[in-house]
Amino acid sequence: MKHLKSINKKAKMLDQAADPAAVDEVVAMQTVVGCTGVTDPGWEVDPFGGLGSLCQPMEADLYGCADACWWPAQVPDTMNTHPDWSSSVSKADQDWRKLDGVYPVDEK
Amino acid sequence: MLNGPNEMKTMRVISLKTTKSRWNTGLSLSGGAALALSGLMVWSTPAAADGQQLIRERCLDCHTETGDAAAPFSRISQLRKTPEGWEMTLNRMQALRGLKISAEEKRELIKYLADTQGLAPAETRGLRYVLEQDRNHVENLENEAVAGTCAGCHSGARVALQRRSAEEWKKLVHFHMGQFPTIELIAGARDHAWFDRTLNEVAPALSSAYPLSTPEWSQWQAAPKASLEGSWRLVGWLPEKGEFDATLSAQPQGDDRYQLKITGQYADGSALEGNGLAQVYTGYEWRANLTLDGVPMRQVLAADENGETLQGRMFLRDAKELGGEIRAVKAKKGLSRLLSVSPGYLKRGQTQTLTLHGAQLSGEIDLGEGITLVKVLARDADRIEVVAKASESAGIGSRALRVGGAQGADLVVYDKLARVDVTPGQSIARVGGNGGQLAKQKVAFRAVGYAAGKDGTPGTEDDLRLGYVPAQWSLKAFDEVAQADNDLKYAGTIDAETGLFIPGDAGPNPERRMSTNNVGQLAVVATVDDGDGPVSGENHLLVAVQTFMFPVIQ
Repeated sequence: MKHLKSINKKAKMLDQAADPAAVDEVVAMQTVVGCTGVTDPGWEVDPFGGLGSLCQPMEADLYGCADACWWPAQVPDTMNTHPDWSSSVSKADQDWRKLDGVYPVDEK
Repeated sequence: MLNGPNEMKTMRVISLKTTKSRWNTGLSLSGGAALALSGLMVWSTPAAADGQQLIRERCLDCHTETGDAAAPFSRISQLRKTPEGWEMTLNRMQALRGLKISAEEKRELIKYLADTQGLAPAETRGLRYVLEQDRNHVENLENEAVAGTCAGCHSGARVALQRRSAEEWKKLVHFHMGQFPTIELIAGARDHAWFDRTLNEVAPALSSAYPLSTPEWSQWQAAPKASLEGSWRLVGWLPEKGEFDATLSAQPQGDDRYQLKITGQYADGSALEGNGLAQVYTGYEWRANLTLDGVPMRQVLAADENGETLQGRMFLRDAKELGGEIRAVKAKKGLSRLLSVSPGYLKRGQTQTLTLHGAQLSGEIDLGEGITLVKVLARDADRIEVVAKASESAGIGSRALRVGGAQGADLVVYDKLARVDVTPGQSIARVGGNGGQLAKQKVAFRAVGYAAGKDGTPGTEDDLRLGYVPAQWSLKAFDEVAQADNDLKYAGTIDAETGLFIPGDAGPNPERRMSTNNVGQLAVVATVDDGDGPVSGENHLLVAVQTFMFPVIQ
């Protein structure tokens, strides 16, 4: 990266992403139990332990997560394990209220 | 903080390089079906022999009998798990593998498997937070194989609470490859051989750390198991309600099941009452469903080896994040113990009412050096209310209280409140509601007070912990980004008196830039005025998007 200079906010964040110190901070943040630490980005937090690099609103790309089995501990993977989870909701950003969680049956 | 979906995908690819030294995998075993530990209201009559017969009837379409009496079934006999672990296994078998099993049979099978292929008390130590459904525990697993691989997607404790043969640990890797086909990509396998590494390095490391046969389990299997029948004295804390003490009666119903009745009172004097059912697994794992003043609750407790104490967490069945620690001692003749004193601190030179909780309390009350018993306000075998005065020269520090021969509660004498910590220190809430299917995940905060200790400087190792203290609660933006994004306005609110944080509504919010969700990074501030001016402490609260997966173990 030494021959490239970041000129906008996003590029500066990428610089930070390459900084090992920034990544170390993330590791601590993501150890809250039940949060995914797959930092590309995480489901709850981004590689900086913040929210700046997450997809927002989440609903805009939810199926891009579900059908790629991206965060299968947080989002039902429709590729293999829960193929029908979102079948009745074609547009998550509009009909997100219809999307339910996956529970042990007696808990719902 | 706002980025569209395409930008996010760019970030994914780029940040893979930042994390290549970590071993990431995914694991989600939360299949759809099931019940068991949460649905204890109907009982069957399990017996050990029936457990094996159930496996023959329900599982041998896929599994086989080995002919080895010590390990009679293929794969199944090569595992040991907690009751919740076995429930997840059966859930997965129902949801993904076609297992047909009735609710009663499932309860029987979980009981049989947890009893005969469970974990010893020592094997669950330090990992019980996932069984207790604590949503704000910060995992700090020493095992690099778990912390660096498994905990990338879900709790490491889910794995560290399993015992498997070497072959079964390898099969767990294969299962992940088959069930989550993109796992290598997610784990950053473009620049390292993730599968080979996980199969040939991580699985053997897990096998070494968490083997099927252990001395702990052999000893626990051989140990006599105490009945948990009888009357228990219990102290605990619940969000919005506060501290309480109660008597819990456990009447045996056979097969380690107990009918429960609980009566008690909160610290403000209001009554507490409920009843329910408990099932004990593996000789010590107490799981109860009870209704407390009309609210469905659960208890996840562990009995000690003598069956004389219970410890764990009680929480709302429908909002597991809301709960608190409970501790109990058996009320039986000759077993006189103190459980707690409330409050657990007394300022030098001050006079204050203290309530001592315990079981079979009798005899002289000794409040320790420098503390005078001014008056006994009320007294019975379970609780003693006294007026106590700490002298101006009372030694700063903790002293063990005594009632007759009973001990078990400490009182701290302090000079000045110097520090306030917010607990949980790292916390997570999740947006919800707003007409959607998923409830908000709240957080109940408590403040812990400290005196400065001998060095007179707060924030150092010798700080004197006073215990939980009442506080006034407020929120602020966690950092500059949160400030710029106005997270404080959108991410949620906190009750100034109770410390209960309620996150914002789910869904895209058109008021925010790019309609971002009501997520945010906040600092929760607790302020306590002990008479010497306000002292504040704060923590970090992440308000995140929903999770859609609600497995038995996170």
